[in-house]
Amino acid sequence: MLPWNYGFHWNTGTIVFMGAFYIVLAIVAATVLSALQRSRRALAAGKTEQIRWHSDFHDLPAGDRVCRHVLTGEFQHRECPHAFDCRECEKHAQLIAARPVGQPAEQEVCGMEFPLDRFYHRGHTWARPEANGTVTVGLDELGSRLVGTPDSVELPQPGTRVLVNGTAFRIRKRGADVRLLSPVDGEVVATGGVSRGWYLKVKPLERRFDPRHLLRGAEIHPWVMREMERLQLALPAEGATCATLADGGVPVADIGAGYPEADWDAVCGKMLLEP
Amino acid sequence: MDKEFIARGVRRCSTPKFLLWILPWIGLAAFGLYAAGLCLVKGLNQTNMDNRFAFGLWIFLDLAVIALGAGAFFTGFLLYILKLDALKQVINSAVVIGLVCYSGAMCVLAVDVGQPLRAWFTFWYPNVHSMLTEVTFCISCYLTVLLVEYVPILLRNRKLRQVPSFLVFEFELHKLIYVLAGVGTFLSFFHQGSLGGLYGVLRGRPFAFREGLAVWPSTFFLFILSAAAVGPSFVLLTTWLVEKITRKRLVEARVLELLGRISGLLLAVYVLAKSLDTLVWINRTSPETGFPAAQYYAWKPFGTWILLAEIVLFGLVPALILLTPRLRARRAWLVPAAAMACAGVALNRFVMTIQTLAVPTLSFDRYLSYTPSWQEVGTFLAVAAYGVLVYSFSFRYLQIFPAERELRFEAEQAEELPVAAGRN
Repeated sequence: MLPWNYGFHWNTGTIVFMGAFYIVLAIVAATVLSALQRSRRALAAGKTEQIRWHSDFHDLPAGDRVCRHVLTGEFQHRECPHAFDCRECEKHAQLIAARPVGQPAEQEVCGMEFPLDRFYHRGHTWARPEANGTVTVGLDELGSRLVGTPDSVELPQPGTRVLVNGTAFRIRKRGADVRLLSPVDGEVVATGGVSRGWYLKVKPLERRFDPRHLLRGAEIHPWVMREMERLQLALPAEGATCATLADGGVPVADIGAGYPEADWDAVCGKMLLEP
Repeated sequence: MDKEFIARGVRRCSTPKFLLWILPWIGLAAFGLYAAGLCLVKGLNQTNMDNRFAFGLWIFLDLAVIALGAGAFFTGFLLYILKLDALKQVINSAVVIGLVCYSGAMCVLAVDVGQPLRAWFTFWYPNVHSMLTEVTFCISCYLTVLLVEYVPILLRNRKLRQVPSFLVFEFELHKLIYVLAGVGTFLSFFHQGSLGGLYGVLRGRPFAFREGLAVWPSTFFLFILSAAAVGPSFVLLTTWLVEKITRKRLVEARVLELLGRISGLLLAVYVLAKSLDTLVWINRTSPETGFPAAQYYAWKPFGTWILLAEIVLFGLVPALILLTPRLRARRAWLVPAAAMACAGVALNRFVMTIQTLAVPTLSFDRYLSYTPSWQEVGTFLAVAAYGVLVYSFSFRYLQIFPAERELRFEAEQAEELPVAAGRN
């Protein structure tokens, strides 16, 4: 194996065989060490949440990864190439410049209020810029009806930094333990709760709130309609103790209570984009 | 009890039911470990092998599982190098199967070689002119690669992902997985070939001896080709089996068909190459060593039927089925064809190992028969039990089939549609 071993000879066979063997070992070792080194750097740079989202986004079914412009009918099929961060998307900028988003006549969709003073994340959180420069973060009406009154809410401490598409807060309900995605980059300055109608107040990074990745105005209606379809697909028709969506009407305040036999962890995971 | 370790959106049986499933396999593994322990402590006199019949059940098992485990490298090659994205649905399963097969083979080899305290000698004092050395090095390296490839699958466990360093390492390692897939392909090609080469260079065993290119006998290439051909079939077969046992849809039908088509194509090439090789061997190689080929088949039970079964029944027939789109589209044809392909390669490895040694080559030599001892069988069964256990735990706690969750939603909707229609 090594030149100082008994019987070792420098010849072509030895050089070719051992050379190939050591090269393979070196490649495998270099790959693992490189991954370790990259991981160390990513952890030091605080990229954990970014990586978590990229990993989660990759695991979402193709139908849940569609571009927002598919929802508004500008594309037939298009998978979002930026993991729902439209701030990086040139195509989005072009489309918005060519056709700015309009304001709808009403803020009610399927019997749920989606106020037009705020921006909506595809993971059912919203962000509302306040006059004092902070941004209030909450759970939209559909998200609220999914989790009903949560069993527990895990909020970040004031001073914690949250990132777009990173974990904003966690909610536990009926066996489901899901994280809610942050719609804004910034530092948490205050925390609320279910009773207060909002969960976080965030001071945006560099004091500037950039909502380009969030849905607003006329985009909300087609998005909610699609979300209702996704919800119908995720819910079992059997075992419902209330009228199901296919029968018409509006979602009840605590959808989960109407589906005691549903795997609520899976339903919430699907709807709140945590595969 | 262990729900928080199970991936979101998939259904697994209850913990007591799972324990009930693994219990007999643990019993079998314990029995096998006892048998292997006897061989290691008391020596190879516990087996029915001897100096004349030095390769037995264990080497046959090694060759067969390593060929069947080739699905790991070949699926990785097709997915990461040739970008056949549909195979994402089975790649994790292929890696687990590969890991089980290769680690199982290494364990059995360790018992077969004996002297476990001197196992490192093979790495420290290698004979670089020996194909066996090449096999040992390649299998060890590839097992390392498989272990590294298994790490991201393991770290994707729902609970482990909550640890930031595990999440980040898994993500970063997965980004480099194509490097490991390339290395795995390189190693697999060589060791599959070297395993075949081991027999092809046996000049003193005209039944196995073959001519070839430069230093590589034809068996070198045939082993590579046959392993690549049945690897996808074995992945197909195990996926189908797991679907049947768990009563779940785990991958889309088109993926199984794709595996079948790839397998069929390579199997057809293999059957052609094997047929040509056999013709050359019958008409030239063997007579030149003084043995008419018919002589090898004069001793029962190894009649010519075994050659026909290997090439036609378990080679040509499954290849034709897998290459026919209409038949491939039906599970009733696809699965038996994949099983036949796997049986074919196992039969080939059996013939190369057992028949090669059974046939006499010297005038004073006699035909030998060999029956494995219970210790050999026990060790063999331990590897099978170990494989089932590793796969069962992986299936329960890891995302072995990434499409399972969506297919479950689809299946539930499909089941409910008639109900909803009936209500309306």
